[in-house]
Amino acid sequence: MMNSFALDWYFIALILFVGLYCMLVSRNLLRQLIGLEIMSKAGLLAVISSGALTNRLNLAQAVIITMIVIEVVVVAAGLALLVKNFKINKSVDIWKLKELKG
Amino acid sequence: MTYHSLLFVLTAICAVAAVLAGDLLVGAVMLALVSIGTSLILFDFMAPWAAVFELSVCAGLITVLFVGAVSLVRPSEDSDARGRVKFLVLPLAVAGAAIILWFTLPAFLERLSSGAMPASAHSAAAIGTTLWGLRRPDLLGQVALLAAGVFVIKSIFARKSI
Repeated sequence: MMNSFALDWYFIALILFVGLYCMLVSRNLLRQLIGLEIMSKAGLLAVISSGALTNRLNLAQAVIITMIVIEVVVVAAGLALLVKNFKINKSVDIWKLKELKG
Repeated sequence: MTYHSLLFVLTAICAVAAVLAGDLLVGAVMLALVSIGTSLILFDFMAPWAAVFELSVCAGLITVLFVGAVSLVRPSEDSDARGRVKFLVLPLAVAGAAIILWFTLPAFLERLSSGAMPASAHSAAAIGTTLWGLRRPDLLGQVALLAAGVFVIKSIFARKSI
């Protein structure tokens, strides 16, 4: 039987797998961003779980706040690119991203 | 099953539902539920500051951004709609991964959990001291990153082509 930390990381690995699967099979940019978000949630949970294990919860919280800021900027920039691309190509399919130059 | 593990299970189920959702709007709402689950887990870990950030920023702001983007691109054809089989296979893939990980991960995780540390002076420090004292360069990085994000969005939606 796994201990609490191992069980947490088991679920974290599963959530990471779900996000990775979404990013791998999807051709839709929005779904890719959803996959990225799910993976970042798994990373965030891994950080807090490690912080709890090593008794450094405050440090883990500080790192998580930084991670959340990074997440927001990445998503905002990604969605902005998606909307711009949609205006140009009328599609959110990554296989049609051929006109991003210049 | 404890409340803690139950939260993890619910978060994983919401993540699967977010990926499986045929409608992108439902996917965005499910992603918000994943964020809420994550935030409840953070509360359960006694990390209220991170939980509040997660709840307000990820479950709130990012969901609003996603819903806005979905409403802007909704009329377009969803390229994934043709290949739904790949998504419908996901529960099976997750079940397979769960079985494989159940047999392969425990030894590694037991070794990881042996790295537990006792409480130190750093653990007792207030979150404000940690954030503003120990991790000050992170805050500078955050400000720089936010500025970069604003610049990226400004340049993407520039009125004149550069």
